[in-house]
Amino acid sequence: MATLVASHLTRRFDSRVAVDDVSFELAPGEIFALLGPNGAGKTTTLRMLAGLIDPSSGNVRIDGETMSRTAGPRLRGRIGFLTEAPGLWDRLTVERNLLVYARLHGLANPARAVDEALDLFDIASRKSDRAAQLSKGLKQRVALARTLLHRPEVVLLDEPTSGLDPESARDVRELILRLRGERRAVLISTHNLDEVERVADRVAVLRARLVALDTPAALRTRLFGSRVLVRLGGAAARFADVLRPAFKDVRADDRTLSIAVDDVEHATPGIVRALVQAGADVVSVVADEAPLEEVYLRLLDPSTRFARSGQAGEAP
Amino acid sequence: MKRIAALLGKELTDLRGNPAVFVPAIITGVISIVMPFVIAIAIPYFSGERLADSSDFRVALEMYRDQPATRSLDPEGAIQAMIFQQFLILLVLTPVAGAMSVAAYAVVGEKQARTLEPLLATPLTTFELLAGKVLGALVPGIALVTICFALYVGGVALVAHPGVYRTLFFPRALLTIFLLGPLASLAALQLAVCVSSRVNDARSAQQIGALIILPISALLVAEFTNNVQLTSRLVLFISTVLAVLNIALMIVGIRLFDRESILTRWK
Repeated sequence: MATLVASHLTRRFDSRVAVDDVSFELAPGEIFALLGPNGAGKTTTLRMLAGLIDPSSGNVRIDGETMSRTAGPRLRGRIGFLTEAPGLWDRLTVERNLLVYARLHGLANPARAVDEALDLFDIASRKSDRAAQLSKGLKQRVALARTLLHRPEVVLLDEPTSGLDPESARDVRELILRLRGERRAVLISTHNLDEVERVADRVAVLRARLVALDTPAALRTRLFGSRVLVRLGGAAARFADVLRPAFKDVRADDRTLSIAVDDVEHATPGIVRALVQAGADVVSVVADEAPLEEVYLRLLDPSTRFARSGQAGEAP
Repeated sequence: MKRIAALLGKELTDLRGNPAVFVPAIITGVISIVMPFVIAIAIPYFSGERLADSSDFRVALEMYRDQPATRSLDPEGAIQAMIFQQFLILLVLTPVAGAMSVAAYAVVGEKQARTLEPLLATPLTTFELLAGKVLGALVPGIALVTICFALYVGGVALVAHPGVYRTLFFPRALLTIFLLGPLASLAALQLAVCVSSRVNDARSAQQIGALIILPISALLVAEFTNNVQLTSRLVLFISTVLAVLNIALMIVGIRLFDRESILTRWK
């Protein structure tokens, strides 16, 4: 059962429609990435999911309970929301920042929860420092610790690695992957496609409406197809016919065969087996997949059917 | 209550890191303390003219001698008691002045520091948020007025006629400082916090919240001109009105607090 269900979420600001009929589900242990250009409605969507603003129509359900003004305070206790800015109180120490939030969440033993978070995020040595003294990376780490302090089932992360150096960004990514292991439902809003490629199970591309929603691999295949490149020890042309009965699009170029496949992982062992049985010397096999960036740009290209109105991918 | 206490704790810790915010309150407190000493002690001392000899104070003296509790004082002592009691109302302004800038920044300050959104993402209700913010400004103000009152009483005991300091412990004086004062401050702070949650400029909140100073000043002037005698009963009546006003302001404040506008429209 999905932990979070967004159902036909629409949000208007006066005459402007910021989010238009967006629906998706988020399962425990799933990492879901929300992509979209600036002004696409990502932050508005996150705020609706976090119960900070009401949708104009549609609703958000957490474990079957609908987010409302009455249920909001209780449901917000089950959500961890990392806002775009770390939002730490500069004059307070790291420990004090976390302690206030532990108390606001009504944790049974706030001091212990804070100590555990300080250890988990490797910031115990800086606990007495004022937040103003921290680097951007450390502030983000403290903000993440604050977001997860109350062990929320749903974690919403708005640009979690924005502006971080590569090392800090990697730490944050590792943490996000750890959340999957803890069966938390994680939604990341980001512009960082490399990050999405590394961590996301599913991707939604938003431009007020949901332009696409699927796994990164499925989106890639749907838009560009996938190819397997096999480099052989000799001329490739004579082995192309070996594969043609099973694969529609097989191209030979000098010593390389390029085969269009629906699913790289499933098709590759059969291709290699057939070529070896036919006497080919297989030197290397690589998947030739379009980078996610190209998928993203294609989806948002105004000339494509996806950006105009359609939705690529599964219906939620 | 735990969440209000958590937010209050945060506010107080935050204020400890920024003591300059209380400079206006300290100045108000010092002026409130010093002025009556100048009038009742310093001027008669340097001019060589007793207060009891001045015709300006004759009516006031008669009014004051009507109170059984002060009949044991000599004329000079009775006039000093009257001056020191009347100036207590000025002391009431100390927490208002001190807390106004704190309250004015309560919501708009959090928004500007980008700390409001994470705070709103917690289970904190609007009532808890506003209560925590108002108390965060009120508690230091009350602490400050208590310190000022202690200094005031100590000063009176040291330099005024014997027995005058006891008049500062009459119900009227205590009610003024510890009931009317905090309730007036609370009203001012709630007004400032309400405005702070509707404007994106703290100065607007500060100016509107400071309006509470006007009725208090009017009360002070009315008392000086002998148009109003601030009896315990009158202090209780004004306090009741302020208590009702505070409840109304809290209800209005909750209704006016629009999370959505604050998050989506303020820049």
